[in-house]
Amino acid sequence: MLYILEDTINGILMGSIYGLTALGLTLIFGVLKVINFAHGSLLMVGMYVAYWAVALTGLHPYLALILVVPVMYLFGYYLQDIVIKPIFKAEREVREPITVIIVTTGLWYILDNVTLLLFGPQYRTIQANPLRGKMLELGGMLISVPKLWGFVTALITAASIYWFLQRTRLGRAIRATSLDRDAASLMGIKQYKVYNIAFGIGTATAGIAGVTLVPFYNVFPSVGVLFDIKGFIIVVLGGLGSMGGALLGGMIIGVIESVGPQFMAATWTEAIVYGLFLVFLFVKPSGLFGVRYDW
Amino acid sequence: MMGKRVSTLLWCLVTGLLVGLLVLFWGGSGVTAENVVKIGNIEPLSGPSAAVGLQGKNAREMAVEEINAAGGIKSLGGAKLVLIYADSESKPEKGVAEAERLINTEKVNVLTGCWNSAVTLPTTAVAERYGIPFIVPVSVNDKITEQGFKNVFRIAAKDSWWTRDQFAFLKDMEKEFNVKVKTVAFVYENGDWGKGFAGLWKELAKKGGYQVVLDEPYPSTATDLSPVVQKIKRANPDVLFLVSNAADAILLTNTLADYKVKPKAIIGSGGGHADPSFLKATGQNARYIFDLVEWETDVNKPGAKETNEKFKKRYGYNLAGESVDAYVAMYVLADALERAGSLDPAKIRKALAETNLTKGPGMIVAYDAVQFDKTGQNEHAALVMVQINDIGHGMERLTVWPKGARHAGYTPVFPMPQK
Repeated sequence: MLYILEDTINGILMGSIYGLTALGLTLIFGVLKVINFAHGSLLMVGMYVAYWAVALTGLHPYLALILVVPVMYLFGYYLQDIVIKPIFKAEREVREPITVIIVTTGLWYILDNVTLLLFGPQYRTIQANPLRGKMLELGGMLISVPKLWGFVTALITAASIYWFLQRTRLGRAIRATSLDRDAASLMGIKQYKVYNIAFGIGTATAGIAGVTLVPFYNVFPSVGVLFDIKGFIIVVLGGLGSMGGALLGGMIIGVIESVGPQFMAATWTEAIVYGLFLVFLFVKPSGLFGVRYDW
Repeated sequence: MMGKRVSTLLWCLVTGLLVGLLVLFWGGSGVTAENVVKIGNIEPLSGPSAAVGLQGKNAREMAVEEINAAGGIKSLGGAKLVLIYADSESKPEKGVAEAERLINTEKVNVLTGCWNSAVTLPTTAVAERYGIPFIVPVSVNDKITEQGFKNVFRIAAKDSWWTRDQFAFLKDMEKEFNVKVKTVAFVYENGDWGKGFAGLWKELAKKGGYQVVLDEPYPSTATDLSPVVQKIKRANPDVLFLVSNAADAILLTNTLADYKVKPKAIIGSGGGHADPSFLKATGQNARYIFDLVEWETDVNKPGAKETNEKFKKRYGYNLAGESVDAYVAMYVLADALERAGSLDPAKIRKALAETNLTKGPGMIVAYDAVQFDKTGQNEHAALVMVQINDIGHGMERLTVWPKGARHAGYTPVFPMPQK
């Protein structure tokens, strides 16, 4: 019984980190209606920024957030402004600009391979960071401390973004644009500025997720791909645009991945996760907390 | 209005065409067709195995540079070796497509590759179809030389030899240190490589009288291996056998240390555990792990140390299994070309089959000769077992088995200290 509890806790912690990686995706997907295939690569960029910040300054990894968040925000802001905005402008009449998918896919390949060129394919970890290998002993169970930090960070980030979207003026502008971009323009909301900001926030969140992963995971150019697919599943599970949904979806997947292997081979749990994804698509495509769209 | 769009499009097309023609002529000129031997190399240059693909590329380049500087292939009038690379991305279908392209468009004379056994298997079929000789430096899956093909030549030892050596090593350790091993666990990446090993391990365990307490394939690209580690911990094996690629080897080793899992011994199978970034990324956590490899930097062969120093200076890390085999492959090819004296694939193939390379700058491997049997397998390929330990110079890999090859003055630590 203790085993299942230990595994469930690990699943919830790891799952919250998956949810954190998907937060940015659900924001971008929900607001801009953009399927951002480059999200995994943005996570990877965040991880490299965090890695270099810590490797060069010896700071505590979470202190690197001070550097990572603004850098990633600006990166995302200008990425949207320079690369994706022209596509939006060209597809003004369409509700969902599908060409953006192609652009973000191209972005994914470019980011991954430029990183490969610049930094080489080797796997990097930060050996001397204070969080490394720390385990919390709780009544016979071992709980990973870096994952615990990640859990707390995920909760704080999700809560902050939720509060931002609900309570601030800018947040409401973002939500308005996501519901109907033309009507929002009519209300005086600068549509493209809102998109830039939303993309910036989404990318900054990917950066935060990168910081939580760096203390215990490998950093290498194709690391984003692993989290990319999971991110999409989580977004569908949790519902487009819902912060809480992303976290919950992440935790569900985390628990399946952690508890599942105790009853079957680890490779089967992947099949279960994808199977669950399919079931959700059939039964409740808008996800757990998603809004039913009628357009 | 429309006119502007069309003219911009036209502009782009023309510029693209011009650039394309430029690249074609610039890239293609400078080397005449007759005085060159084209070697096609299919390697994973991107994707999860990119790190190892790069090592293979670097080793080949260094070898080819040396061979060309020494005068090239004299029996072909000093012909130089030219390496052409194709990225397999570790995907079998890509490997096959690239093989077709290299043979038909680039007109290579020989192929080498592909590291991932899953890619090598179908790609050798393509080479066989066209009658182009294919040298496999390192893919270990038994089936590669068991397809009945005439054009495949493998330098590394087969899967079954690796597993045979791992169990022989275990028996020797039990005898040397008077320790009884009763239970074993098999944890392996769920690709062709891992599954191949697992099948052979199970038979060997039965023959050796060991009880298998865990048989766990896991996805090599897993983002979290704690559930697998928990299973290992709860199964509590005496000895843990692992087959891992680089990223998961690192993650597994660190997670095993995090959860304080300490079996009597951990035995790896090269690959990820032998990757140069493994030691750096795991540090103290990798201590006392045993790993079976092709080759180690302290092997007692003339020229081995110097060649490794040269490689390390150029590329920043030591030679390892893949790079050594790729290096040897180039020398084996050069030797075969000298004897063939022609670029005819059938003649090259015959020369390769008659290879008996025992000396020369390429022979830095732990064994004495490269000779291919009827199936194209190098009969003499042998392996060494190393232990990762710190004897005062930082964490390094020390050869421990066969006893004759053991690092001077070092006694392996078995079983692992149970602190």
